[in-house]
Amino acid sequence: MARVKDYGNAELEEKLQDTSYYADDANPQFLEDVKKLSRTAANMCFQCGTCTGSCPSAPRSSYRIRLFMRRGVLGLEKEALNDPDLWLCTTCYSCTDRCPRDLAPTDVIMAMRNLAFKVDIVPRNFLKTVQLIYKTGHGVPNNDVNRAARVKLGLPADPPTTHSYPEFIPGIQKIMDFYKMKENADRILSEGEQ
Amino acid sequence: MSGNMRQYAFFLGCIAPNRYPGCEAAAIKTSEKLGIELLPLKGASCCPAPGAFGAIDLKVWYALAARNLVLAEEMNMDITLICNGCYKSIWEVNHILKHNDELRDGVNEVLAEVDMEFKGSIDVWHLIELYYDEKICGVEKVRASVTRPLTGTKIAPHYGCHLLKPKKERHFGDTENPMWFEELIDALGAESVQYRNKMQCCGAGGGVRGFDLTHSLDITNEKLINVQEVGADAITEFCPFCQLQYDRGQVEIAEKFGQVYDLPVLHYNELLGLAQGMTPQELALDLHAVDCKTFLEKIL
Repeated sequence: MARVKDYGNAELEEKLQDTSYYADDANPQFLEDVKKLSRTAANMCFQCGTCTGSCPSAPRSSYRIRLFMRRGVLGLEKEALNDPDLWLCTTCYSCTDRCPRDLAPTDVIMAMRNLAFKVDIVPRNFLKTVQLIYKTGHGVPNNDVNRAARVKLGLPADPPTTHSYPEFIPGIQKIMDFYKMKENADRILSEGEQ
Repeated sequence: MSGNMRQYAFFLGCIAPNRYPGCEAAAIKTSEKLGIELLPLKGASCCPAPGAFGAIDLKVWYALAARNLVLAEEMNMDITLICNGCYKSIWEVNHILKHNDELRDGVNEVLAEVDMEFKGSIDVWHLIELYYDEKICGVEKVRASVTRPLTGTKIAPHYGCHLLKPKKERHFGDTENPMWFEELIDALGAESVQYRNKMQCCGAGGGVRGFDLTHSLDITNEKLINVQEVGADAITEFCPFCQLQYDRGQVEIAEKFGQVYDLPVLHYNELLGLAQGMTPQELALDLHAVDCKTFLEKIL
């Protein structure tokens, strides 16, 4: 019978059976959440750095997409979500097009931003867009200067969107309320003002 | 309209109708001359913005984009649009929900609350790809529609990001150095020019313009330096958000960085409108932050 290797330490044995990374603040579930939301196999990243090398935000900030990929793999949830650089990705997808592992680092960032919002970490401008869409259906609503210009062009003063058909707005609000999005946006914005 | 016209539901988005209405007017008029009729998609909303909105909750992004798609499904008509950001939301959500039952069921659960159902029965196209597509229109037809060639002008193409990228999910091929947009520009009698790092982002997307304007403008500034280096008379693109970033961005760059370019920025539909004989007034070019006068003097 083959000899079984044994370190004689039950706690260590258990750790060796578990292939998750061990750090005090690591959360293996973070990687799983990121993978599910981003629909990419984020764990396959081998840290080549092609993503950071392709990134238009990298040369002008401390934002490093490769670092966020590593944080995902290691489950360093707090470190990733609390880093304001998370919001410097322009979502240009250059990294995604060039990734030799065929991953989508851009979508990993999007997933991490989603997870950050769940714990109330989100820049104010994002929440303002939510409020505008809730109220008008548009992230960039019409204004009087533009209405006058539209009429001169022979277009209706308001486009044939929710602006001309406000009866569609309650449906949009219902969809957003289903996910409590507006409620959360209002709460986070008002807490920030206190 | 005559029976030869192809009809599409025209998804407007936000920035074209609410900031650059000339793009909307031009898209309708120029397409008509190319056999494409754009019909209003009544009650459509923001796509919603993929970077600013999808970033905080993808589920709501799927559901609101699906609502816009259902409006077109009810018209039994394919959607066309003139903005890369809208393309990312509307095309991509359509694509994802057609191929992912789990997400689709989740979306339909919330759409049921507003008596809607996503069926996946239509397709989504950027107007620029319809123009390039030989089966729909094609470069030669665009060329034939020109009555006032933009001869003697040098124009820098900006492809933007979300139409072509990520390439493995799209159908536009190469994203390192594509040349098809240049064909469409040259068809107007203008000369398209190549410049350094042509495929770089304009800097506006992902909510970065709202989050850190200086950072965002610094990316734009790099592009403007590269475009100016080759002596372009104007930039053209097919995304009103890129247009806003380059156009209003130049005013902001002058304030923040002290650099002045005076480089007119025109949506391809505005450019096509000029080439088909539309006047600057019919395109509301006076709404542009950068005066288009120098460019117009070359062609009028």
